[in-house]
Order: sequence, then C-alpha cells, then structure tokens
Amino acid sequence: MADDWRTYEPLLIPDIPDLHKIDVYEDNGGYEALKKILDNQDTWSRENVVNEVKEANIRGRGGAGFNAGLKWSFMPKPDGGPRYLAANGDESEPGTFKDRKIFEFNPHIFIEGSIIASYAMTIDTIYVYIRGEYISWYHQLQKAVDEAYERGYLGENILGTDISIDMYLTYGAGAYICGEETAMLESLEGKRGYPRVKPPFPAQKGLWGRPTTVNNIETLANVPLVINNGADWYKKIGAENHPGPVLYGISGHVNRPGVYEYPTGVPVTDLINDVAGGMRNGKKLKAVIPGGASTPVLRADMLEGVSMNADSLREAGSMMGTAGLVVMDEDTDMVEVLWRISHFFHHESCGQCTPCREGTGWVEKLLIKIKNGEGEVKDLDLLLELTNQMEGRTICALADAAAWPVRHTINRFRDEFEARCKKSVHAGV
Amino acid sequence: MPEVVIDNTTYEFEGSPQLLQFMMDEGLEVPFFCYHPSLSIPGNCRQCLVKVGQYVKDDETGNYVLDDNGDKKIRWFPKLQISCSTKVQDDMVVFTQETSEEVTRAQQDNLEFILINHPLDCPICDQAGECPLQIQTYKYGPEGSRFEVKKAHKPKRVELGPRVTLDAERCINCTRCIRFAEEISKTHQLTIVSRGDKNYPMTAPGETFDDPYSLCTVDICPVGALTSSDFRFKARVWEMNQTPSIDMANGKGCNIDLWTRDNEILRITPRHNPEVNDYWMPDENRMFYTKFNDNRASKPAIKLDGDNQSKTSWNNAVETFAEALEAHDPEKILLIGSPHASVEENYVFTKFFDLLGVDSPRFATHIVSGYGDHLLMTDDQAPNTNGCRLLGLDEADGETLKQKAKSAEIVIILADELLDREILNKRDLNEKYVVYFSTNMNDTSKAADLVIPITCAAEHAASYVNVDGRIQRTFPAKETRYTNRRLNLEMSVGRLDRYGTNFDNWVTEENKVDCLPLWEFLNHLGERLGLELEFQHSRSIMSEIADRIDTFEGVSYERMDEEQGIQLPIELQKLKEES
Repeated sequence: MADDWRTYEPLLIPDIPDLHKIDVYEDNGGYEALKKILDNQDTWSRENVVNEVKEANIRGRGGAGFNAGLKWSFMPKPDGGPRYLAANGDESEPGTFKDRKIFEFNPHIFIEGSIIASYAMTIDTIYVYIRGEYISWYHQLQKAVDEAYERGYLGENILGTDISIDMYLTYGAGAYICGEETAMLESLEGKRGYPRVKPPFPAQKGLWGRPTTVNNIETLANVPLVINNGADWYKKIGAENHPGPVLYGISGHVNRPGVYEYPTGVPVTDLINDVAGGMRNGKKLKAVIPGGASTPVLRADMLEGVSMNADSLREAGSMMGTAGLVVMDEDTDMVEVLWRISHFFHHESCGQCTPCREGTGWVEKLLIKIKNGEGEVKDLDLLLELTNQMEGRTICALADAAAWPVRHTINRFRDEFEARCKKSVHAGV
Repeated sequence: MPEVVIDNTTYEFEGSPQLLQFMMDEGLEVPFFCYHPSLSIPGNCRQCLVKVGQYVKDDETGNYVLDDNGDKKIRWFPKLQISCSTKVQDDMVVFTQETSEEVTRAQQDNLEFILINHPLDCPICDQAGECPLQIQTYKYGPEGSRFEVKKAHKPKRVELGPRVTLDAERCINCTRCIRFAEEISKTHQLTIVSRGDKNYPMTAPGETFDDPYSLCTVDICPVGALTSSDFRFKARVWEMNQTPSIDMANGKGCNIDLWTRDNEILRITPRHNPEVNDYWMPDENRMFYTKFNDNRASKPAIKLDGDNQSKTSWNNAVETFAEALEAHDPEKILLIGSPHASVEENYVFTKFFDLLGVDSPRFATHIVSGYGDHLLMTDDQAPNTNGCRLLGLDEADGETLKQKAKSAEIVIILADELLDREILNKRDLNEKYVVYFSTNMNDTSKAADLVIPITCAAEHAASYVNVDGRIQRTFPAKETRYTNRRLNLEMSVGRLDRYGTNFDNWVTEENKVDCLPLWEFLNHLGERLGLELEFQHSRSIMSEIADRIDTFEGVSYERMDEEQGIQLPIELQKLKEES
C-alpha cells in the first residue's frame, strides 16, 4: 500500500460534531445497518451475518488479531439458556488509548455493532467492561445506551421484532489483568480477576459457565461498516490480510501525539513523520514500540518498508498489538524504558501463576540494579534466561507480554545495556 | 481400550481422566503444589509441566504416520502442558521429568521461581519434614539460586482466625485454602489479596477465619504458610509417632492420625478415607486429643469416707469389686454400657456380667439434635452408638435409667460421663454402690465408690460403628504402664524410637497412664470370682463377635485394615427403631 491513506476519510470516528448524540448519529446513517438486518431477516439471517463478518476478516483489535466472524462461529448452537457478549473496553496497556475515542466520539457505532453481533450469535445480554480509570467515559456511554433504549434499539422487541437484547455497563477497579478475556469474565462475575485455564474457551464456558463471546470495543465498532457496505468493500480498505480502519494511538516524542484513524498498513515512518507531525524538536528517531508496551521494540534502522499490518510487523520482528505506537527519540534511555515497562508488568501481574508472579518481580529488581549502575553483564544474560523461563509457561499471556520487551529490548540495544553495567571485579577470571 | 504412552510405557485407560491424577493412580510421580484431588483445578503453580504430543494418523487410511526412522510420528503440543488440567486422550504421548531434559529443566525453573521469595526458614518452620515444597525441592529443584536481589516481604504471624496463623511470606499462592473454603466448607471466608508477588491469602476486612473446618487448610497448605495456632512450635514432625486411628469426638468416625511424642498426643490430623471423611475433619474434633492426655484416670480409686477417694492397688480394686458382687443379688445390679466405648468393650462388659446372671446393659445415646452440618459434624456426639445397638444393648433415656437405678443396689457404668452430661444426677446414685470404668476423671468418677481406670481409644486397638453403620478400628498410640512400644507390633515406632539415643528419645514415666484394657481387668476379676472365662486381646474378641453376631459376620481386624473399615449390612432406620 502506497499513499492511499492520505485520502482516507475516517469511518469510526469521523469529524462530525456531536456524533455521540443519537440524533446526529441517525442523521449520518446510524443504526441503518441494524434496521437493514432486522427488516430483511431472510437475507440477513443470523448465519449470513456471521458469514459476512467472517468474510470481511475484521481482525480482533484487542491485540490478538483473530478473525472476529470466525470467533463468532465458534459459539455453540442455542440451547435455550443464556448466552453472552462481553465487550472488552478495559484497554490499559501503556501506549494504548484508542477505545476511549469511540466511547467519547462515536459510542453508537459500538452499540450498533454489539447489537448486530448479539443478533448474529443469538445473544440477549451484552456486558460492556470499561476500564476503571475511564469512569467519565463510562457515564458518557451510559447516556448513549439510554438513548438507544429510548429509541427501541435495545430492550424488549427491538424495532418491533421479537428480538430482545439488553446492554449492561460495568467498570473495572484498575487492574490491567482484567483486560485478559477470561480474567474479565471472572471480574464480571464479581470475582477476583484471575485468568481461567483454557480450554474450555469462553465460547463453550464463559460467563457463569455459559457460551460467551468476548470482543474488543473497536472490533465491534467495525461491524456496522461491514453490514452497511459489504465484506468486499471492507476488504479493500488497507492491507490485504489485515483490512479495515484502525485507530492508531501515537504517543511519545512526536509533535502531535493522539489517536488517528487510518486504514491498516500505513507505513510506520509515515505515521510518525506525517500523521503525528514528525519528531519533537527535530530529534532523530531511535525506536518505536508499535502496538502497546508488550510488543517488541523496533530500532529506527529496522523500520524501512515496515507498515502497520500483522504480516509486515511480524517480518520486522514485532507485532501489531493494539496499534498503540510509542515513539522514542535519540535521547531516550532504553534501560529506563525497559525498567518502566517491566515495572508495569510486575505491578500488574495478577500473581496466579508462579513464573509470572515471581518472574516479573525478579526482572524488575534486576533492571533497577542495572539502571542504578550496579548491574553486571551476567545479569543481562540472566534476564534473557528468565524470559525463556516465563514465556509459554503460564495460564494467560501476561508473562509472555512481560517477557518479550525484556528479550527484544536487551537484544536490540545490547550495547546500551552493557554500557550501564559495572565492569566485573572478576574480569579475567 | 484407548492407550496413552507415558515415558515410553503404554497404559490403558477408561473415560477421560486428568493426566496428573492418572499418573498418580498408576504410581508415577510428577511434582505439583496447587492440585488437590478433592478440589477444583486452578492450574496456577505450573509445577506439573510435562511434554505432551499426539501420534499422527493418516486421515484417509487411519494408519499411523511414520517418520524417517520408522517410528510413529508425533505432533507435539506447542508448549509444555500442565498435567493436572490435561485430559488423557487416545494415542497421547507424554514425557515427564524421567525422560525429558526439557521437562526436567522447566520444573527446575519453576521451583527456582517459587523459592526466590520463599523464606529459607525451614529450621524453624512447623511444616519442615512434611513439606511438599521442601521434598520436591530436594527431588526436582535446581542446585542453588541465581536470585541475588531482595526478597519480597509480607505480613508474618497473622492470626487469620482463632485456630489458624498465617505466615504470608511462606505462601506460594496455590489457593488450596481458598478453594477449600469455597468448595468444601463453603464458608467463602478466604481470598487472595493484593497482586503479583505481593499476593497472600486473607479474610475480608474485619472478618475472622472461624470456619469450623479451618484447620483443614493447614493440612492441605503445601508450605508452612498456614499453621495450627494450637500445634505451632510444639514439635518437629520427625520427633513424633504417627498412628492411624478413628475420631472419638462424634458419630462420623473420621479417619485420623494420632501424633505422639513421649506418650503424649500432640495433634490429630485427618487421614484420607473417601468413604467417610475424604481428607477432612472438623476443627473441634481435633482438640479431642487433650482428653487422651489430660485428667486421666490413672490407678484404681476407692471411696473411703464421705466423698473422699483414695488411690488403691489393682489387687485391692479386684477384691473390693468381687466382694461387692458377691454380697448382692444379681437382679439388683444395673449395668450401663456406653456409646463412647468400643464394640469390644461393650461386648465383654455384656458377656462378663451375663455369666453372673446380671441383666444385659442399657445405654444412653449422646445425641444433640441440630448439632450436625452438611459435612462431617453429626448430631451424634458418640463414636459407637450403632455399635451398642448392634450388640443388643437397650437404648434408655435418662428417666428410664433413673427408674432402673432406684431399684438397684449396685450400678456399674462403662466409660460414659453420665453425670457430666446430666443423664443421671448424684441423687440417683445415693446409697448405691457405684463402679465406674473410666478413662478420665470427671463428675461421674467423683460420684463412684470404685473407679477402675481403663485404656482410652489411643491406648488400645478397638472397633467403633459410625452413624452410617461402618465399622472401623483404632491402633494403640500411647503406651500405658503395662505396654511397651517395642514389644507391641501394632504400635508405631518413630524415628526417635528406632535411632534415638537415651538422650534424645526421652521418656517421661508420668505420661504413661496406670490403666488396663477393660477385658484384661475383667480377666482378673473373673479369676477371683472363679469364672471359666478368659479374654485374649481385642483382635480375638472381635473374631468371637464375628462368630456369634450375624451383623458382624466376616468382620476382622485384617479386613478392616485392608478395606479402611467395613460397611455393615444394616438398615440404620430400622436399627434405631428396634433399639
């Protein structure tokens, strides 16, 4: 993809004043997708909606990048008992702050997408789990939900059909781990946010043991676009294997940090230099974390030809994650950066699994030692070994998320780390 | 039948067992901490990692796909799997630490992690000697540690509740205690607080962990984090003798272990019996051990003048008793058996006095209605109510006993605190000659003219029939003045008994009670009275019972030992009504 993105008009958070109000949203084609489906349930049967979304290949925007429609198709056949949609708005990874833009500027597109998803999976209850610190957006979303109830988009007999769907909002208490899908389900049930052992997956046993689909807020917000315009139209936006609009959250040493909507596949350097207005104070770019703090850092010299889609970033040695880019200039102290990231994961490890509970603490303590100039080169090697001991040994991916930055930051900035270590008193032994 | 290959050996299996449990059932070992057979599987300690794969089959032909060497091709799971939550499947291939370097390393890595914040205070830790973490570290842990920074610090000596003390630093967050309170006792009193390496178990603010089963969490704690406030710092595990026994505190007959040192019982812990108590027992029943130690009736006592009792010799006790029996009409003798005494004791009691022409004994049940719960507490406060019923003892309430006592001249009571629990009162026994076979000194013994000290459940082997009609037996755990641990094959011999010198294998003579098993005393009495009767030991008494009473047919100590107790063929309701 070349420069197509420069002419792109935002779809998820278009520049329309007061779009968060339901009148404005409706005037701009809002809830048309839902009406289209409910008015033509023969054409838009539940299976057809699932298939259309699957065909569109909306890759989960929560970081894993899994085809949303395919995920929906994992729900077992209805057995008359309750089934749930749990919308994950607990984004809390450093560098990630995109969903709040949807809550603030276009909450109805998310609500509409959730209703369509519930229809497609024969779900009658939606829970929205919002990050605790987002309390003001929780209230804002609640207003939008109330409006949707008033207009008959939610509640009993939606738009005169025999379909009834309820949406409940709830918020977390400030734990990053509650953004892990099964920990979020535990938290929704009123329990301590400990991730569950999988299998069983939420589609088999989710909330209160019932079939549940967990989707990211942004993922659900993409659904009305697919229904309104068709999967073929959607697939043409952005990168081929990872299509659609994406909310890029750009932070760090750039002139205009913020959330920007563009198609997938924008070159990383374009995002920094053009979208975010270039490096602050004309400094040189040193490194970028492309998708939230857990994704491996990329050195400036590794960015050539790299664009923001899953395949390109994997080739470059990183991941798309949540498309939250953290941009760092030449003055950045990578030891300090890594310590800060490791401090976060140490603080946020739920403590359930041994390798993560103990590993994240050990890693942070070693990094403090190195940061303070008391580290030795052997500590760097120990850190790398610890990442191997943590990765893939736990219930959820938090240990992996804590291990990757350590491994890749040390490997990619080894000189800088070694320079901070004191010369071994045993040199030569 | 489906097959699984574990460490190159093929095992058949049925259903879909969990891999870890299946391996344990097959006698294989994998280290673990959080898993417990009676609790849900949280998969959080990550210690039981194994390498798991599946033989690849050709979709079309259904044949195994072979690799270049002609071996069956294996598709490995992408990561090592925790065996506790892995379901065994047909054609599964498993490599444990026995055969896989990768697994050995992973388990070492995990133990290194567990130990970095775990205090190395084994020398003062109650759990040392029976500590899964200690044992598995020796077996599967790494040599030394690379952890050279500061350990995390957490609260110590926290009184979680009246009976449990927490050392949060020792906790490895296995959540067994929390799951116990959630799933078994259902009091929901515990949770993990804080996050990450600051985690530890705690009650809600202002709440106290007064779960009636709270000490079960101490049993299942795989480290020394939860300790019994009562037993804390009392003894090292290896100084004690561990003797299997049966709980005397209520009718359930929980299977227990008695832990003795120097002939004192120091604690009672539950012993696994899936048919009775699984791994659990109520807290209050554990305190029953004090009854085995304290306030024991030791050496016969005789009432001289007024209410004053005086210790006397066994010869004198036999003589006094015999003279009393000879001086009275057998019809004027009232026998009261006991649901607190064993089947064997009630049997010899009945049989002996039957030879003298005395009416068969009555007994008073010890049932507190509403005391039982959903788990192991029962309304019945006695261990052998059904045993008495099966032996044909007449169930009598207080009124009946009082009436019977009125017309009696001698009242002979077997080990039941009838005055203490207000079945009889002192007035009822006025002007009677009262003989009391007793294990402990109490109000009833004070009212007796003759106290014959008999062995308690911790000193003899004897059987008890629980509320569900299951007969189970005890082993002698404490020596009396007349028994010797080294000469009694049934008695456990601890490490100190085997290897200790006179200096560390201390023996305090006062801890040995001067008492006799009931049957032995009755032998002496019978000899004096010229009866043709000799009881051997409780084992042979039980085989005599088995020969004579239909319900006990086939019951023997051997079978009880082998089968962890025997369910007797009885209809409980009918038995209750008949009695």
